[in-house]
Amino acid sequence: MAHATPQGAKLLNGWKRLTSFEQGLGAQLPEAYKKFWREWKHTKPTAVHYIPKSGRWQRDELTGQVRPIQEHPLPLIDVPESHEGIWGGEAVIKGFQKRDRLKRRVPHFWVPVLRKSVVHSAVLGEYMSVVVTDRTINLIHESHGFDHYLLKTPACDLRSELALSLKRKILKTLEEGCPNLAGSPNKQQEVIKEFQKYLDGYTSEEIDWYGLTYKQAIKKLDAKIKAENPIVPHKLEFRSKLIEQLRQAGIKEAGNDDSEVVTKIPSDESKNWLSKMNPFGKKQET
Amino acid sequence: MLRNLSKTTLNFSKNALSLEQQVRTTFILKRRYEPHLHKTNTTPKKYRAKHFIYDLVEDTLVKKRENIEVVLTQFVDGVGDKGDIVSMKAHFVYNQLLLPGFAVYKTDENVAKYAKTEAEKNTVVHSSPYAQRTVNMLESLIVPVSMNKDNAWVIEPWHIRASLRKMGYHCKDECITMPEQKIEGPELTNEGKEFFVTITINNLEKAKVRCRLHHWSTEPSERLPYVFEHWKRPAENIFGSSEETVQN
Repeated sequence: MAHATPQGAKLLNGWKRLTSFEQGLGAQLPEAYKKFWREWKHTKPTAVHYIPKSGRWQRDELTGQVRPIQEHPLPLIDVPESHEGIWGGEAVIKGFQKRDRLKRRVPHFWVPVLRKSVVHSAVLGEYMSVVVTDRTINLIHESHGFDHYLLKTPACDLRSELALSLKRKILKTLEEGCPNLAGSPNKQQEVIKEFQKYLDGYTSEEIDWYGLTYKQAIKKLDAKIKAENPIVPHKLEFRSKLIEQLRQAGIKEAGNDDSEVVTKIPSDESKNWLSKMNPFGKKQET
Repeated sequence: MLRNLSKTTLNFSKNALSLEQQVRTTFILKRRYEPHLHKTNTTPKKYRAKHFIYDLVEDTLVKKRENIEVVLTQFVDGVGDKGDIVSMKAHFVYNQLLLPGFAVYKTDENVAKYAKTEAEKNTVVHSSPYAQRTVNMLESLIVPVSMNKDNAWVIEPWHIRASLRKMGYHCKDECITMPEQKIEGPELTNEGKEFFVTITINNLEKAKVRCRLHHWSTEPSERLPYVFEHWKRPAENIFGSSEETVQN
């Protein structure tokens, strides 16, 4: 049976479903994107909504029994709105509250307090109105600026597609040497000097693929493939073949080597259907 | 939710740039019932509904937020001068100083960059961060100067000082500069007309204060009729043209 599966003999280690990076266009995604994907989806994010336990063992205070520490992070829900703002790693928590010993547990959603504020990017030289939380503003203060915050923080902690796309934009601008600040060369030099260190972590290709969602990455890949292999109509191919054959047969009309005539599709605009009509012509007798 | 949890989250080592996130805001929760222990390197056991009962440990949104230290890049009215390191509330600092570019975060480079040079120190432009507030306050006033209707007088600084004191502003006679032309009376044609005096604050800032002349008698029957809300009415200049007094 093993030979009939895509995994081949690997099936002996158990059946594994193909991931989205192993089938279809996803298999062709470059390593640069996979690196970002690992940073975004497979890295453990910083504890925001719970206090992480440290150490490997803990002793029960009452019984003195030693138990291993196993971490169970709270499951977080990234609602679509979180991708339109920058929530600084916060998310919605779905769970229950037990408000009284003798009362049934009740469902509860813990939603972060959202504010509309302005952030300033020194690299882009822009002020942006975004939905933020207090944690975002605190983190911006801690890292001494919005650009520093975005560039320092890994994708798993940003938890927002908006933040990721801004990060890509900032990295790209930095890589190009901030052409948007060309009006004031002093400022441009200062900005480049301040943020240059963040470019060390990325290659040019990685910056290109940074911060894209899976769908966007597939779209980008598809466009790239299509641009590399443009679809040429068969009639052009067949026509050139025919002319070649005619030439070989020694026919005079096919002799002139005008490649443009061969490859060009006759445009229909010049031959309007109206021009073909002749209302004063002789009526065709049936 | 359960499926998400059972996914083993690979703990990749974060790159060196990762941020030490100390500050926590919003809800910090704790499970009321800890899930059972599971064997190492296996998927955790299935969660029961009771494992999703959470207790609130802390809501840091209601905690007092700490001040931030910033370096001013220029003189800011009511805050400080260029190069000053000020520690103020985070909200005010972010919206009023950092976003408009009046201040930058306090780092060693910024402190050195925005420190006042010797030349700047010698040319004092502002005596204090709060002087401009006083100037704005004084210039928004209309000071009624009540003079005697029966005896002769010439307006002197101490008249202005007394009028200001009645309004709750205390200043010395030396600070008050009268207009060049003398104002003498009693002259009932000047009733309700205005003139400007200059008040010097900290020997540096100058405020032009609008004063209005009123006549008053000790004899109640001699007093002029009361004009309702006279300070809201337009008034002529005592010297005729207003430009002349502005120059004073």
